[in-house]
Amino acid sequence: MDAERKPITVGIPRAMLYYQYGTIWKAFFEALGVKTVLSPPTNREILEEGIRLSVDETCLSAKVFMGHVHALIGKCDYIFIPRYSSFRHDEVFCTRFEGLYDQTRNIFRTSPQRFLSCNIDAKNHQSEGDAFQALGVSLGFSAKESRQAYRQALKKQQAEQKAAVRNQEAAAKKDGLKILIVGHPYLLSDPYLGKPILDFFRESGTILLRADHTNRDRAKTACMEFSPTCRWIMSKELVGGAMLWKDRADGMILLSAFPCGPDSMTNELMTRKLKDIPVLNLVLDAQSGTAGIETRLESFLDIIRFKKGSPV
Amino acid sequence: MKQSRKIALPRYAEYNCAMKYVVEQGFESKCILPPPLTKRTEELGAKNSPDFVCTPFKTTLGSMIEALEAGADTILMVYGICRLNYFAELQEQILRDLGYQFDFINLSQFNTGKKKDFLRAVKAINPNTNAAKLTKAFAETVRMVEHLDEITGKYYQVCGFDPTRESRLIYRKFLSDMYAAQTLADIEESYRTARRSLAGLPLQKPADPLRVGILGEFYTVMDAFSNLEVEQKLADMGVEVHRWMNVTNSMLRPGGKNHQIQIMERCEYSMGANSTTDIWQAQTFAQMGFDGLIHIKSASCTPETDIMPVLANLSQDYKIPILYLTYDSQTSDVGLMTRLEAYYDMIEIRKKAAV
Repeated sequence: MDAERKPITVGIPRAMLYYQYGTIWKAFFEALGVKTVLSPPTNREILEEGIRLSVDETCLSAKVFMGHVHALIGKCDYIFIPRYSSFRHDEVFCTRFEGLYDQTRNIFRTSPQRFLSCNIDAKNHQSEGDAFQALGVSLGFSAKESRQAYRQALKKQQAEQKAAVRNQEAAAKKDGLKILIVGHPYLLSDPYLGKPILDFFRESGTILLRADHTNRDRAKTACMEFSPTCRWIMSKELVGGAMLWKDRADGMILLSAFPCGPDSMTNELMTRKLKDIPVLNLVLDAQSGTAGIETRLESFLDIIRFKKGSPV
Repeated sequence: MKQSRKIALPRYAEYNCAMKYVVEQGFESKCILPPPLTKRTEELGAKNSPDFVCTPFKTTLGSMIEALEAGADTILMVYGICRLNYFAELQEQILRDLGYQFDFINLSQFNTGKKKDFLRAVKAINPNTNAAKLTKAFAETVRMVEHLDEITGKYYQVCGFDPTRESRLIYRKFLSDMYAAQTLADIEESYRTARRSLAGLPLQKPADPLRVGILGEFYTVMDAFSNLEVEQKLADMGVEVHRWMNVTNSMLRPGGKNHQIQIMERCEYSMGANSTTDIWQAQTFAQMGFDGLIHIKSASCTPETDIMPVLANLSQDYKIPILYLTYDSQTSDVGLMTRLEAYYDMIEIRKKAAV
């Protein structure tokens, strides 16, 4: 049978949850021998295409995502957009991730492109493992093969997260001005959106800590203490991560994409409740140039250096 | 003995009569009604809220401030399946930062699905709650909500065709009766009177009036102040207005799971919050041959924004025009009126052309 199986190529948009769960997706398909192709890193063209395709009021990250889907059209058999709803009963993803697959299918309805999804929805009795198993089966693999591929992929994902935390632990031990940046991985790691900000800090000689580089389970517990009714999984990881790292940082930056629903509230709560650390709120939108942001970052650094008593 | 609480919930459409009933009859506590929503409420809320949070957050925050000004000592806040689940925690923080003194009961905190936590919530509201009285009051409140939704729906369907404008008086009277009701008999009697009076009105109605379906985000679509009385405005133009979304249909009567099956071709999974029933409503209205649909949401409402591509396709397939309205605290009455008039002209011309 295996010899007859037609090789398939799955396209993965390099946006949104790719930066959070991309490793597990790629490793899963790789273990099954399915070829994957990524959309190119975000650039002006992708962003503009995304803006053209999207509803005006949606968030910047979703607009970028649509640009990436567009870049993959015709380059693969399927474009993979998993539906992330919940891992556990008491947690949810932002509804945007629940609707992303159907929203994309509706936006690209006239295109012959086929889409592929899997539904991670523990509230409705479909765990991550079940979802990936069903995904493998839908591609023609056996349940056992799929389950095994999932387990392998999960290990890889966990190892990667651990390594990120370890590296950051090492960085945090060094002397120097430390800035904690709190933002969704799909913003921070995006070469067009977040990278200019990360680069700015690297060039200015500060040590950058990321709230998302954290032990996800410990972060969720920390978030429960700080904000008991926060149910968004990714916000819990970010807020909790921020709580775990903040005592080792000299300043904190809250970075979000306009108009992110969860961030609009969790960032406000952090700004209000955290009194012992300087906080800078940055919101990226489709219009923001880098010059304005750089000025704000520079003055923020100046303030922190001044506060610490080191020369400006 | 501790004095009984003075509990307030923020204003939400006309459902505060039901909240008042359950607080007074079920929890045997005093219920403070915040003043009706005004521009001031909205401004108070917007001034103290984060910029790009959705408008219902701002409006309910404003209403909480006005409730505290009106003498409430306890704010009770509900939860939901979108950002609403997190409203309470942030609103409490904002009110505390403003310096208000009050007790805050955040029902989201007890939303675990466990019976134990439900009982804890009941105890938090009034530790001496009588279980039998509470159960009875809950059941009666459900009746009240069902009647309220039925009469409201009927009212908007007839008020545009009622030359004497008698329907307005009937509806006003019914609402004030609901706010004053003390017993189930009060509720039932006012309901029967209102229903009979509305049914008995002499109507001047064309044989085939323009029919428009209204759907959208839970708070704004039902709250007449927040949507700038879009239903009344349409009715006054002589449109038969239909709205499926209300508390009865969305919360008291099950059926949501089956809506997903009916829209499977457009949307495989739930897109979060009320998206499934929203798409289902749009499809049902379209299949019933309605002349137009109006999709209502507050600015930056995530689930409602995400279903817009689905609605756009549906509009194409059924050849039904959809007017998308986004409300924020700056949305003006005049601007809305202009858009509604233009929309009305368009669907009227289409209807005539079809005949």
